[in-house]
Amino acid sequence: MLEINNLHARLTDGREILRGIDLSIKAGEVYAIMGPNGSGKSTLAAVLAGRDGYEVSEGTVTYLGRDLLSMPADERAREGLFLAFQYPVEIPGVNNMYFLRTAINTQRRHRGEPELDAGQFLRIVRAKLKLLDIGEDLLQRAVNVGFSGGEKKRNEVLQMAMLEPRLAILDETDSGLDIDALKLVARGVNQQRAPDRAIVMITHYQRLLGYVEPDRVHVLQGGRIIESGDKSLAIELERRGYVVEDAA
Amino acid sequence: MSAVVNFPVKPEARPYLDAFGRERGKSEPDWLAGYRKGSLARFAELGFPSRRSEAWRYIDLRPLEQRPMLPATTEPVVVGAPIHKQLAEIGLAGPTYRLVLIDGRFAPELSELQGLPHGVWFGSTSAAIEKRTDFVRPRLEASTPDGVRPFAAVNGAFFADGFVLDIPSGMTIERPVEILHLSCDSNGGSLHTRSLVTAGEGSRASVIESFTGIGQYWRNDVVELQLAAEAQLSRVVLVEEAAEALHFGEMLATLGTASRLFNFALLLGGGTTRHEIAVCCSGERSRCELDGAFLLSGRQESNVLTTVDHQAPGGETREIFKGVATGHAHGAFQGRITVRPGAQKVDAHQLSRNLILGPRAVIDTKPELEIYADDVKCSHGAAVGDLDEAALFYLRTRGIPGEAARRMLIEAFVTEAVELVDSSPTREHLLSRIARRLAILEE
Repeated sequence: MLEINNLHARLTDGREILRGIDLSIKAGEVYAIMGPNGSGKSTLAAVLAGRDGYEVSEGTVTYLGRDLLSMPADERAREGLFLAFQYPVEIPGVNNMYFLRTAINTQRRHRGEPELDAGQFLRIVRAKLKLLDIGEDLLQRAVNVGFSGGEKKRNEVLQMAMLEPRLAILDETDSGLDIDALKLVARGVNQQRAPDRAIVMITHYQRLLGYVEPDRVHVLQGGRIIESGDKSLAIELERRGYVVEDAA
Repeated sequence: MSAVVNFPVKPEARPYLDAFGRERGKSEPDWLAGYRKGSLARFAELGFPSRRSEAWRYIDLRPLEQRPMLPATTEPVVVGAPIHKQLAEIGLAGPTYRLVLIDGRFAPELSELQGLPHGVWFGSTSAAIEKRTDFVRPRLEASTPDGVRPFAAVNGAFFADGFVLDIPSGMTIERPVEILHLSCDSNGGSLHTRSLVTAGEGSRASVIESFTGIGQYWRNDVVELQLAAEAQLSRVVLVEEAAEALHFGEMLATLGTASRLFNFALLLGGGTTRHEIAVCCSGERSRCELDGAFLLSGRQESNVLTTVDHQAPGGETREIFKGVATGHAHGAFQGRITVRPGAQKVDAHQLSRNLILGPRAVIDTKPELEIYADDVKCSHGAAVGDLDEAALFYLRTRGIPGEAARRMLIEAFVTEAVELVDSSPTREHLLSRIARRLAILEE
């Protein structure tokens, strides 16, 4: 589904953050990308989603047979790539429900499917709200404005559940959650496991992985993948900690 | 020298002096003729304002200066399908008391004045002059334009019609009172309308004035509002003039004790639009809310100018104005709040927020406070910026194309101001007009 070859990326100020990433993501699998702060985890997510401010200096990313890096961010999304933000953006004045329905119908149009009318949309969203234990009032508020940390994260998972992406990248979706919220988020993610979908969880801690079992675990450090393994690697990392690489 | 005045007149006023009297068919009462002559003399002395004066520095008056835009002569308008279509579009969908002015003149066949609550007088200014002289005359004469209002002076000399709404004490008008101004004059003439609203003690009403048209014209509208004690009046102004039109709207309001005025202006169309408001809070604990938004593109120009004069203690002012400019458009907000000596406990806040989209658009914003009392709470703020890049990216990561995402954010920005309008049918109407405007904003 996604093939990353020797990916190098730097910030516009010239600092190189990703230094040759090789990664293969297959449909039906759940991945964990772990690593200490500053290892390049969030940069990887940003580059894949198409955020401005990064320059890819080397390497290729192929998504469903296409050159992902040449696609604008909104096209990537319409082609089924989803990023759950570490820090979801507050958008005053844009109603959450209106936003979600616009997003879904834009993607449905792109796939040649009929748009959802208000009633159909409401039926689907209500089921997902229940699953994530989100109050319906959240839909009537402006996107992420005045949401608690946990509400913001659950709102990201709600969007994923509604948009049904081919490839979901969850950037630190577990951070800042209490145990109950973590379990709800995990339930939402587990419910999204599907044979034609890949899920990539980017996380600092093993915590979420206790509830969502990954098929593969990769350790990112210094902008490279330094270790790969199955779920036991996550547990081992939790025990021994990350080896801090000498910056020099 | 001229037949009307015996002093040198400003050259740009000369054609207007020559046209004076020509535009009216029937004879008028002496007092009105005298009032008109006085107004004309004032204009002859003043001429058009100079850009050097603070109140006019942000607006380009060249379209007016290049050639005279003389008052349109009386000609019966044939009301055809395009007029009906335009009225249907700009008018509120639900039931209203509706007064329609075509080319600045009352069009009874298009108006709906039946079933007004007992005691309410709502009709055309010309009818009021004829039937309610004792009511209209003193109010008109009391507002004889002073030195700084040349366009009100031209208006006094030439106004053809307008509307008068007189609400008795204690009366609540449930339905919106709607005034539709439609211009079909494409000969580059001017339309001068003069209107008056008096809200009796404890009365309540909401008025919406919408302006639209076809062709090239200069509209010069003056409205006076008088709110008695505890009256509550909401006034919404929707400006969707023709692309080449000039629109000058001037509103003067006097607020009695504990009265409340809500004025909302939405400026969407017209080559040059000026929305000027002067509120005098003469009664204690009077409150005014002056909000609005403009959305400009191409070479459009908009100038919002508000002045609030707190003369009595305990008054409140809230102003929230949002501006959006793209292309080569130019917007300006000038707001001044004055708190006079002795007007203690005044609570006044003013906010001008603006979005500039593109390197050639300009928005000037100039909030001002002038405070002569020591126990007051006043603040003002101004912000000018671009769309939030992080929000744009967030929307795009959900599949929403860049252009649609931009429109969503602009709409959200303006919607925040529209949310201040109380009446939900009016709010919905304004939002649908905004959506329609946004669809063609960045073409």
